[in-house]
Amino acid sequence: MYASRATDGSRVRRAALPRPIGDYGLLGDTRTAALVSSDGAVDWLCVPRFDGAPVFGRLVGGPTAGTFRVGPARSAAAVVARRYRGHTATLETTWALGERRLILSEAMVAEVAGRLLPSTLLVRRLSAEGGAVDAIVEFDPRLGERHRPPRVRRGRRALVCEWGSLAVSLGCAPELVVEPGRPAAITVTPDQPVTLVLAVGHREPLVEVDPATAWGLVAEDEARWEAWTAGIDRSLPYRDAAVRSLLTLRLLTYSPSGAPVAAPTTSLPEDPGGVRNWDYRYVWPRDASIGVAAFLGVGKVAEARGFLAWLLHASRLERPRLPVLLTLDGRHAARERQLQGWVGYAGSVPVRVGNGAADQHQLDGYGWVIDAAWVLVQAGHRLYSETWRALRGFADLVARRWPEPDAGIWELRDDAAQHVHSKLMGWLALDRALRIADTHRLPARQRRRWQAARDAIAAEVRTRGFDPAKKSYTRSYGSSDLDAALLILPLLGFEDVDSPRVRDTIDAIRNELSAGGPLLYRYPSGRDGLPGAEGAFLPCSFWLVQALARTGRHAEAVELFQALLDQANPLGLYAEEMDPSTGAHLGNFPQTLTHAALIQAALALRDPQRPADRQATAAQGRRQKAENRRAPSDDHPA
Amino acid sequence: MDWTGWALFGLVATTTLTAVMITAQLAGLTRLDLPLALGTLVTADPDRARVAGFFIHLTVGQVFALGYAATFALLRGPTWWLGALLGLLHVAVALTVLLPLLPGVHPRMASPRAGPASTAVLEPPGLLALNYGIQTPAVAIIAHLVYGGVLGLLLQAR
Repeated sequence: MYASRATDGSRVRRAALPRPIGDYGLLGDTRTAALVSSDGAVDWLCVPRFDGAPVFGRLVGGPTAGTFRVGPARSAAAVVARRYRGHTATLETTWALGERRLILSEAMVAEVAGRLLPSTLLVRRLSAEGGAVDAIVEFDPRLGERHRPPRVRRGRRALVCEWGSLAVSLGCAPELVVEPGRPAAITVTPDQPVTLVLAVGHREPLVEVDPATAWGLVAEDEARWEAWTAGIDRSLPYRDAAVRSLLTLRLLTYSPSGAPVAAPTTSLPEDPGGVRNWDYRYVWPRDASIGVAAFLGVGKVAEARGFLAWLLHASRLERPRLPVLLTLDGRHAARERQLQGWVGYAGSVPVRVGNGAADQHQLDGYGWVIDAAWVLVQAGHRLYSETWRALRGFADLVARRWPEPDAGIWELRDDAAQHVHSKLMGWLALDRALRIADTHRLPARQRRRWQAARDAIAAEVRTRGFDPAKKSYTRSYGSSDLDAALLILPLLGFEDVDSPRVRDTIDAIRNELSAGGPLLYRYPSGRDGLPGAEGAFLPCSFWLVQALARTGRHAEAVELFQALLDQANPLGLYAEEMDPSTGAHLGNFPQTLTHAALIQAALALRDPQRPADRQATAAQGRRQKAENRRAPSDDHPA
Repeated sequence: MDWTGWALFGLVATTTLTAVMITAQLAGLTRLDLPLALGTLVTADPDRARVAGFFIHLTVGQVFALGYAATFALLRGPTWWLGALLGLLHVAVALTVLLPLLPGVHPRMASPRAGPASTAVLEPPGLLALNYGIQTPAVAIIAHLVYGGVLGLLLQAR
């Protein structure tokens, strides 16, 4: 048993300056996720799921919101290596103290079903090389909005912290006496690693897991992740980066419902010190739709079908309206409110929970979802009649409501406008629905209605959404502002990819919205009604890669993609935004949309002619119609 | 014990309950779809599942109706209000015991502990089936009050 030595210095030192957002690594089990800094501190973990209450909330809640640090005792220790082990979710951080090394290996156990294991299990192992190393364990769980300290008792083999129906236990081998909120010092020797196991029991008894067994479970998970990633298309360019993004996307997908959470955090600021702090622990149908194409493109068909199944199941309560965002269970998001007393990341207040965008009308969502279904149909999957009924409902709504102004993809909270991107996505929704109808039953009257609406949108966008002076499509009717969301233009089939309008729009966005280097702003600064300024929007840069690749500018696309890969944090993770002057990651982290856009960009580099391919595949799909009719349906129950 | 009444009115009451649930679903009040949840025990196709699930539900409803009829026989005979009271007990058991147990036996329903290897696609109902919408408990209570009330009323009328 280790005798712990209390120390108070580290807490004071850590409180002074927040770690950069990009300093954090992601640990996850596909039900919830933890963010761990390079000094070994888990500063964010919500339980029992992504949108649960934080037990470690220091990242945005300040020093009293709880942390769980395991690392070197001396602040002089330098991180010399930080990586995920192979293509797995196990994170490894190595510190150097002279000739000696302290290594922290950690992961959350993802596969617990069918076994007597807690649903949340975090395993952290310290090992030493080259001699004994002094380390520190600081365990300070605080629950929820008020940072409630736990009722503490010492169990048979673990420390147990309780808050009513929630309990967290911390076991250690060799045994270590830890008191919450009181850092304990230990010495790690090369012949004896120290393994800490954190287990969570929520509305169920705690299940104690022996540290050796827990470490074995991590090894089993590693083998599973390696097997899962081995199934990813070998011809994918920049495969390592794409695999890390796919793994991140999978880690951020809530397995019990199949819902991809936008990010595991709330209120990491887009403008440090400012008010642009939002809760992203929700699911945007747009992200799930992009995920369908991303997973399908790399050969992960089950995941792609799972996303579509979730979309159709979750949207059921509000059909034919497609909600802008949903909870992990497909419920309406909670009313947005501000957490009182939360200091925010780097003083960025308010810290918000809930999301006020939930009640907006956004036309583009329908386009993303129906296009995702079309991608599946293109790949030879026939939709269940119920799925097709739901999609027809969405298309009917688009045909009816497309002339209305909407909040647009950027969810601006001032007045709705006639966004060109939204109209284009409305066009996409109807176009793809009509294409799906080539192999699925559709009444002639409904088909005529969709065709008429699609053609009307096209005519209106070409006249009112294009600025001849700028030679570019614009952000909204009558405006001369540009919108980086329009970079999806060459993917739609709305215009020929070689058309001057497409090429000039891409160039105009690249010039006018450039944030320097490979980065782009999503719209001109100061046009969103919020105080302060935001960073460059990373998904837009990946959309630019896609646009360049699809319009035959492969060399430019490759160059840009490589430059963007250099902007990832050392673990290959991306936030939503980036400070163009410092390269600091901004906003919630890591971000599903950015990683999904990265995968799509890699796919565009692999298949630059995809829009044309789509037409060809569609024709092929029609030829296979008879065969498809004989084959069993291939998506999931909605 | 009124065997003929049980045989006929059990079917009527279960069909009525199903109709109430489907109406609530179409009105956007809940995503709880009992025919789908039961039918996907035997097939993944939602359209076929609903047909199979409807008949499974009729059978299950008939078994429950047997309990109602036996209780009526033991107490003061069937009345609509006694049926409704039994319906209240029935829905309490369904929401707190039966539905939460379903992920343990359903091959296509994920559990709240599902991990990346899970191929189950039906979402688990969660506490009081709230995962299927916040109004789900209210809808289920009304449907079961109607079930018990209809059964009691029809058996009383014989």
